[in-house]
Amino acid sequence: MKNVLAPESFRLVIPSQTRYLNLVTGLAKRAAMIAGMDDSTAAKVSIAVDEAITNVIMHAYSGEPEHLVEVELRFALEALEIHIWHTGRGIRDDQVVLPDPREYVKHPRKGGLGLLLMSRFMDEVHFLEGAERNECCMIKRVG
Amino acid sequence: MADLSIQVHEVDGMAVVQPEGFINAHTVRQFETALETLVKAEKFTILLNCQKLSYISSAGLGAIMGLIETVRENQGDILLCSLQENVFAIFDTLGFTQLYRVFGTEDEARQALAGKTE
Repeated sequence: MKNVLAPESFRLVIPSQTRYLNLVTGLAKRAAMIAGMDDSTAAKVSIAVDEAITNVIMHAYSGEPEHLVEVELRFALEALEIHIWHTGRGIRDDQVVLPDPREYVKHPRKGGLGLLLMSRFMDEVHFLEGAERNECCMIKRVG
Repeated sequence: MADLSIQVHEVDGMAVVQPEGFINAHTVRQFETALETLVKAEKFTILLNCQKLSYISSAGLGAIMGLIETVRENQGDILLCSLQENVFAIFDTLGFTQLYRVFGTEDEARQALAGKTE
């Protein structure tokens, strides 16, 4: 039975291992193109997805490989929504501190750039803490 | 095809690193090791030829950032050339095009370096 009111979407669940990153980013790029984005924009979406899932694997799960990361690509009206759920350590929007790129140029150092790329390449990035699992939601509008 | 393969060769005293594939949290260690090996061998002028690099995430940028001070303290540098559009966008978005010299081709980078050392 088809639900014509709900946005079309698909989900996949991967182990919390970086070897699956390229699988998901490839899907995200294709999904962005199906949603109507050009190749350049779709590439930026895929980078944002790479960064978001890497954050989950490396920080929320501290690199432990036995956990699960659930990803949903949702084709909303004139936008692609990407929802990423995990049961590791969560953060909220108000805890996110984006580094200032100008400071990076003055004082080069490792780390902290993933969130900045996510925020620059997507129209919206949200972090939500839930009772049982936590979510990162990213939205990229078409056009 | 491997996720990442890295060719390294030397031209005019400059180490040219040519990654093919993608650099992210999964492949970054391989990239980091290639750069660290050069620095340990006192090759402080490094050109990253990104012609065959499909994308680089912040993990890869971190690997470059981690060595930039060391090479510059030793009168070297890390240069970039032949960036694909999306790879350039990543560097440019983060302001890294102000940190690193970016050239259209490997030849342009070599000529610029030769001019500097003449």
